[in-house]
Amino acid sequence: MDSAREEILGKVRASLGRGPGSPVAPVPPTTRVSPRAPASTDAEIALLFSEIEKLNGITRRLAGRDDLKTALAELVKAEAVKKATLWATPEFQALDVAGALKALGVELISPQADQRLVAECELGVTGVDVALPETGTLLLRSSPEKPRVVSLLPRVHLAILRRAALRADLHQAFSEVKQNGYCVLVTGPSRTADIELTLTLGVHGPKALYAWLLDEA
Amino acid sequence: MSQAAAPIDFRTNAQHVPPKMPAAVQKATAKFLGSRAALVEALGNDLWQTLRQAGHDLRLHAITHLDHYLEQAERAVTKVGGHVHWARDAGEANRIVLEIARQHDVKKVVKSKSMATEEIGLNHAMEAAGIQVIETDLGEYIVQLLGVGPAHIVVPAFHLSKEEIADLFRKKLGVDAPAEAEKLTQVARTKLREEFLAADLGISGGNFLVAETGTIVTVTNEGNGRMCTTIPPVHVAIVGIDKVVPDWESLTVLLKVLARSATGQKITCYTQFISGPPGAEAETGPKELHLVLLDNGRSRILKSPECRETLLCIRCGACLNICPVFNSVGGYTYGYPISGPTGMMFASQILGAKAAGGLPFASTLCGACNDICPVQIPITDILLHLRHRVVEGDEQEKAVAPYALRMGAQAGSLALRTPWLYRLGSTMLKWLQTPLKRDGWLPRLPPPLNRWTMARPFPAFASDFRTWWRTRSREAKGRQ
Repeated sequence: MDSAREEILGKVRASLGRGPGSPVAPVPPTTRVSPRAPASTDAEIALLFSEIEKLNGITRRLAGRDDLKTALAELVKAEAVKKATLWATPEFQALDVAGALKALGVELISPQADQRLVAECELGVTGVDVALPETGTLLLRSSPEKPRVVSLLPRVHLAILRRAALRADLHQAFSEVKQNGYCVLVTGPSRTADIELTLTLGVHGPKALYAWLLDEA
Repeated sequence: MSQAAAPIDFRTNAQHVPPKMPAAVQKATAKFLGSRAALVEALGNDLWQTLRQAGHDLRLHAITHLDHYLEQAERAVTKVGGHVHWARDAGEANRIVLEIARQHDVKKVVKSKSMATEEIGLNHAMEAAGIQVIETDLGEYIVQLLGVGPAHIVVPAFHLSKEEIADLFRKKLGVDAPAEAEKLTQVARTKLREEFLAADLGISGGNFLVAETGTIVTVTNEGNGRMCTTIPPVHVAIVGIDKVVPDWESLTVLLKVLARSATGQKITCYTQFISGPPGAEAETGPKELHLVLLDNGRSRILKSPECRETLLCIRCGACLNICPVFNSVGGYTYGYPISGPTGMMFASQILGAKAAGGLPFASTLCGACNDICPVQIPITDILLHLRHRVVEGDEQEKAVAPYALRMGAQAGSLALRTPWLYRLGSTMLKWLQTPLKRDGWLPRLPPPLNRWTMARPFPAFASDFRTWWRTRSREAKGRQ
């Protein structure tokens, strides 16, 4: 195995006329592509939502915890949710998302449970670490309390975001998350056009994406 | 050359293209090109050209410092708990994956679409060892059921009708579903869900490998890429050594041009960034991550300054979509999983001139691929150099063209370089053609030149260049 490594690196160096300690030129600058200037927060939210809707996502603005409870009740009914799984973040504990779902008669499954059980959930609820308005993109980092399966296995993905998650573009977002073990950019529900180029939602990932902005007074 | 591949005969393959293929291909390519053009217009051409230039410079920087970035990536992946393997060729890569599979007693593998694994024939190698491999990209799943390879690098089954797919599902899966895209997709979702949950190993490629943090980046729409790298207990990523980029900042440019060029999306549905296994964090996800760095001839491509930009390719497929030849013949004619202009460049170098020397000739050199390429690869310059390599040989390979063709090319070159020989030749050709000439055309030529006239007549020589030039200058003076 080591000999393969030496041989490949040796061949690469020979092809390039480089040696083990050859100098490395600076990385060509990306700054000539000017970073995007963000608009006002309200305009950014409007753009984010319009982009998500273009990609068949469903958006909603919530004006507080009571609003959240109402919205959850409507979602549970509309999507016939019987089982759900969610992030275990302090934010969700403070909002008591789990309690609200339980009160609606929804059975909660731990993301750490057997993956077959998680896959049976109709709903997965996550937060949003970074939101990028230009493309309607939600960035989700993963960690023990934010397992990646929550946004992947259930049929419906609900992402609850705050204004503080807004960033102008990828430059800013990447500089914040690049040391994270895993993150994913989610832009609309899972899609394919592999059969006769017909757009079809929900191939392997969620069939529906709900993005809710939660403002609290 | 590691593969003793049978020579690819593009000309013969092109004669067996089913009549419905060009129509299906053009429907798809027109759609992708239309969406792409709308997004480029929305960005503005100036910004788009700046992005292409930046993308080109970043990729060229990466491959011309490849040794440095590979070592950096290796250190970073190891640091975050991943295992790095180096594979000199296809056989070695397959052996590495099989060994990992053996250690974990793997029976079932789920795979997301990866051109690197198509290149090394991984599925065959695993199936030969008694391991079931399931392609999970919907298009790949369909062509796998059909027992063929991808017809397009982005949309592998774009040439099949929904009726054909419904029929295939009935025969192979025993599921009776109506011929509707949504119903058929639902069938695949249900079947593949079971496979994801039962699989012992997930295999992916990588669109990029970020040296700075050892991050494997995958760009997908369906979510199967996430499933393959999240659900099974072990994840193996097979990544060509050319896929390395210096840092995350480079990604801000490359991700912007990739999705726009590929499917006409601003960004794909899911872009994943995987730095090591999550094991230590006690999070869900695979407990082990293996990265296989595949050379398989890439270090040799790097050797030729004329051809090394072949490796800048980010596999968006835009050059396939715009290529007039690809639009007429479809992907299978190229006899290689990566088709179209970028496939011709890549395959004829990876497989060698002997096996794939015909491919660089399957181009009109119109240059549309150069203009559309999001990282500005001078594709037709490279194809021309590869033609030169096939006919005359270069520092990398001996000439493989038939002796007569080589002699013909040399004679032509000599005649064009020697004024008196050129004059003699052009006069002689005018005389020689007289018995064959009919109404200003040559309907039949003797072998081997009849390969042209079998399909269409050859225009008769009306004049030689010098005479034409003299007449033209006289006429121009007369007009003044």
